[in-house]
Amino acid sequence: MTDLIRAELLKLRTLRIFWWTIAATIAFVPVSIAQAIFAKPPSVGLDSSEGIRNVFSAGASGGVLVLLIGIVVMAGEFRHNTVTSTFLITPDRKRVIAAKLAASSLVGVALGIITSLLTLAIALPWLANRHVTLAGHGTDIAVVLLGGIAATAISALVGVGFGALVTNQTLAIAVALIWSFAVDGMLASFLPGVGRWTPGGAASALSGVATANGGLLPIWAAAALFTAYGLAFAGAGSRLIMRRDIP
Amino acid sequence: MPAIEINGLSKRFGGVAAVDDLSFTARQGAVTGFLGPNGAGKTTTLRMLLGLASPTSGSATIDGKPYAQLADPARHVGAVLETTGFHPGRRARDHLRVLAAAGGLPSACVDEALGQVGLAEAANRRVKGFSLGMRQRLGLASALLGRPAVLILDEPANGLDPEGVHWLRQFLRGFAGNGGTVLVSSHLLAEVAHTVDEVVIIANGRLVTQSSLADLTSRSQSGVRVRTPDAEALRGALAAEEIAAELVGAEMVMAYQTTTEAVGLTAAGAGLVIYEMTAERLDLEEMFLELTNNQGAIR
Repeated sequence: MTDLIRAELLKLRTLRIFWWTIAATIAFVPVSIAQAIFAKPPSVGLDSSEGIRNVFSAGASGGVLVLLIGIVVMAGEFRHNTVTSTFLITPDRKRVIAAKLAASSLVGVALGIITSLLTLAIALPWLANRHVTLAGHGTDIAVVLLGGIAATAISALVGVGFGALVTNQTLAIAVALIWSFAVDGMLASFLPGVGRWTPGGAASALSGVATANGGLLPIWAAAALFTAYGLAFAGAGSRLIMRRDIP
Repeated sequence: MPAIEINGLSKRFGGVAAVDDLSFTARQGAVTGFLGPNGAGKTTTLRMLLGLASPTSGSATIDGKPYAQLADPARHVGAVLETTGFHPGRRARDHLRVLAAAGGLPSACVDEALGQVGLAEAANRRVKGFSLGMRQRLGLASALLGRPAVLILDEPANGLDPEGVHWLRQFLRGFAGNGGTVLVSSHLLAEVAHTVDEVVIIANGRLVTQSSLADLTSRSQSGVRVRTPDAEALRGALAAEEIAAELVGAEMVMAYQTTTEAVGLTAAGAGLVIYEMTAERLDLEEMFLELTNNQGAIR
């Protein structure tokens, strides 16, 4: 199994697009922090719990990109027909899918840790400079950053599962992006009662975003819900791959 | 025991039988050519043999086991399908490193396989710059990674230049000569005629014939073309002598597996006039076309 996870990580590491993706995610962290500091809704004070959480939710910047990485890890095999060699070397498809889930979540955890550390490195001095006292917000920060790491890792499971269900990579990525940036956002704004239950709503709540105030689930409920989404997509996707014919 | 055994294998897609009750074998130490026109069901058969597609019925085994149940498939069987692909952005060596890691093979295998197929110099180039022939070589390198005893190659000569074809021929002969088993598919008999010991010919998903190349060659070389005003009468006379013949034109009869002497004697015995008679060497390719066309239109 370690061999297979190593192989899946090697597949990612040997593609330039992977490193560009990682670089883009890291570059987005300061943008996200700046957004939370300058474009905060007037109702939310920067030194309030919500304000702090919004700033530190930049630690979950990698969520959508790890979702896409998960999709590429699975659907990309069909896009370039490398799936044939993959299943020839390892005919036990269950192990291949397990390795893909493990490798993608490892990337998610690693990226989540990097973006979290970067968030701390940028946000702490920035907030200090603006005379925001962080005393008493230690727990908020810790929960938000850990939640962000978890959300990033679980996004990988959703991505691999979704990529297994929709093996047309272009279609899968288009659907994932439209869903993440348009549908989820609209639901959260206009139908918060529904929006809080979507994967995106759960991921936002888990990574501590507090802007969509009141609409989102409490962080622990969101953790359970997003994990359930991850397992459901991964489970349904693997069932399909187990049974289907490979070109 | 044959190394590869296909037994009553069928695959239906909707109402269409892509492979229909197909049985054949490939033995160890020989190169077996798996021949048929495009669309005959070769790739589908190989996909079932390699556990990528599940048969509607029947079985396909390698050394007595379905591919998916082999203990260490990477070290046992090397296979390249026509559909095998590469990520265009990955370097050739990295493509093999990934497969070696997944198969638990030492990384030294990678450079060895690249050297074997003559790609050592291109090892650090990205696959998007590769010609079709180089992709074929890279595919073959991936099949050779685990030093397998069985090679299954789908149209490996496609895109190879004449030098590459010659090299492939030598390579497969050497592989079988060392006790390996080779099953190699092609839609051109001529392409593999110098390589194979045995041929399995299929058309429309069904077996047309399995025989040794020598048998096929001897069957193909003896035809006699006769121009006569009494074509139908001659055909009847030949049939009475158990010589297979058919009308191939208004005044033309083609007699198979026979000699000009036999046809001449038969015609004289029946008192038939002959204007012209030619011994024809139906070459292998024509024979192949004839065998596969008789099975209906090419899909």
